[in-house]
Amino acid sequence: MAEFVQLLFNGLVTGSILAMAAVGVSLVYGVLKLVNFAAGDFMTLGAFIAVFFSVSKGWPLILSVLLAIIGICALGLALDMVLWKRLRENKAGTLAFFLVATGVALILRQAILMIFSSGSRKYAIDEIATFPLFGANIATAQLIVLLLASSSIITLGLFMAKTTIGKDMRAFSDNPSLAAVSGINVNRVVRYVWIINGVLSALAGIFQGMVQGRFDSTMGWTLLLPIFAAVVLGTIGDAYGALLGGMVLGLVMEMSTWSVLFGGIPSSYKPVVAFATLGLVLLVKPEGLLGVKARSI
Amino acid sequence: MTTPLFELKGVSAGYGDVQILNDVSIQVPANAIVTIVGPNGAGKSTILKAIYGIAKVSQGDITLHKLSGEAIDVRKTKPHNLADIGIAYVPQIENIFTTLTIDENLDVGYKGNGGVASEERKEKLYKQYPDLAIRKKDRAGTLSGGQRQMLALARALMSGPDILLLDEPSAGLAPALVDQLFDELVRINETGATILMVEQNARRALEISNYGYVLDMGKNRHEGEGKALAVDPEIVGIYFGKR
Ligand SMILES: Nc1ncnc2c1ncn2[C@@H]1O[C@H](COP(=O)(O)OP(=O)(O)OP(=O)(O)O)[C@@H](O)[C@H]1O
Ligand SMILES: [Mg+2]
Repeated sequence: MAEFVQLLFNGLVTGSILAMAAVGVSLVYGVLKLVNFAAGDFMTLGAFIAVFFSVSKGWPLILSVLLAIIGICALGLALDMVLWKRLRENKAGTLAFFLVATGVALILRQAILMIFSSGSRKYAIDEIATFPLFGANIATAQLIVLLLASSSIITLGLFMAKTTIGKDMRAFSDNPSLAAVSGINVNRVVRYVWIINGVLSALAGIFQGMVQGRFDSTMGWTLLLPIFAAVVLGTIGDAYGALLGGMVLGLVMEMSTWSVLFGGIPSSYKPVVAFATLGLVLLVKPEGLLGVKARSI
Repeated sequence: MTTPLFELKGVSAGYGDVQILNDVSIQVPANAIVTIVGPNGAGKSTILKAIYGIAKVSQGDITLHKLSGEAIDVRKTKPHNLADIGIAYVPQIENIFTTLTIDENLDVGYKGNGGVASEERKEKLYKQYPDLAIRKKDRAGTLSGGQRQMLALARALMSGPDILLLDEPSAGLAPALVDQLFDELVRINETGATILMVEQNARRALEISNYGYVLDMGKNRHEGEGKALAVDPEIVGIYFGKR
């Protein structure tokens, strides 16, 4: 029971972090047709910026988090201006986008090492503090992250469902050519996508850093595969799908280590579990969890 | 003819270096239904795409003459602003947002023009299309073919357009639904929207049109009163085939 509660809790935490990152990737792909290989490194950079201000500079954590968010939004907007916009205007193919994105990911990771120097980081939070829950000892940091992440996700969900720009973004992601002829301002949508992606990546990175305790410049990179799996699982280009896909994968990955199931799958196999889940779901429902079968009128 | 609501004058347009339209002129009087017919690949869709800058216009003028007397140069208007000036477009395929709900499809179509509140316009459209009203919280991808076409029309009407551009609205619909659709277009027209449409179902479309154009190989070939064109033996023979 204690182990189950612990794993369920881990699953919810991992799931909400994956969900946040996956929505960013899904929106960027849906609107820009860009597979953002740098998504993991956006997260890492966010976590490093927040640690830099809060630990090295001793500034309040909230302010440091805000600065990290602003930094990642600015990075996304700047990269769009100097790179992606030009590639789009020159009608670059998928392969060009793919290669450039991989390059950006590598450069970012090296830049993080150069700017912040190597070695691991941690936030000034007590990672040992725990509280008991149904016989399990849950880390307080995990609880805080879970609360913050779920409120971020709810806010995001409301934003996507209720606001004009949220609906425009989902419409654009669904059908760019129809969006462009139904009065949606493409450039405005693109700007908002990078801003939302910036907020989500920075927060997901910071949350991941907090629950991990210590983290280094490869933190986000190692999460990239499960994030992509979450996007595909939830139906590509569907922001709600990515949310769902992230939660499902987070839960499945953590629960797979439960000793009651086949004696527990070693935790280093979590990414494998993520892809096995993806494979199974796609076999049954090729269009993803929320997908509707393509049909002609 | 008095000043039309909408006109293309000597328009040449194409994709990249390939020119498809050659000196095409079309006039759409206010409150009329005008139909463009012609064989596959004639460039009918390209006319509508040229208005939206999807096909590149190399020559000619595209003008919207507002009732206020203002003449708007459509070529100089950004595509996302066309809804604001009173032009709405329903493309031939993929003309709804399948992952958005029916209600959200309508929201996305609303542009605040005409000073009518979004809820008021939705209310009216839902009254008109009860099938959509019952399912407004469902994802649009779950609708049937006929319902999809109605939603596509409703989405376009949410911006309260002066002119509605329709690309093959009856394509892929079952015969019974085709009749319903044309009745619906007449009704929309009677409530004040001018319609410029492209149709494969040429005879049916021309019968409800005030005026028609036959396009062939990117050029104007014939034009005339809708009903007259629909029965013109020469045109029927060459362009309508068995239909
Ligand atoms: N995006 C595009 N790029 C290049 N060529 C195109 C493009 N779209 C259409 N064409 C070409 O332009 C020509 C006219 O196409 P268009 O779609 O306007 O014809 P249409 O009259 O609408 O035909 P249909 O009845 O099949 O819908 C065709 O030869 C087509 O191959
Ligand atoms: Mg066509």
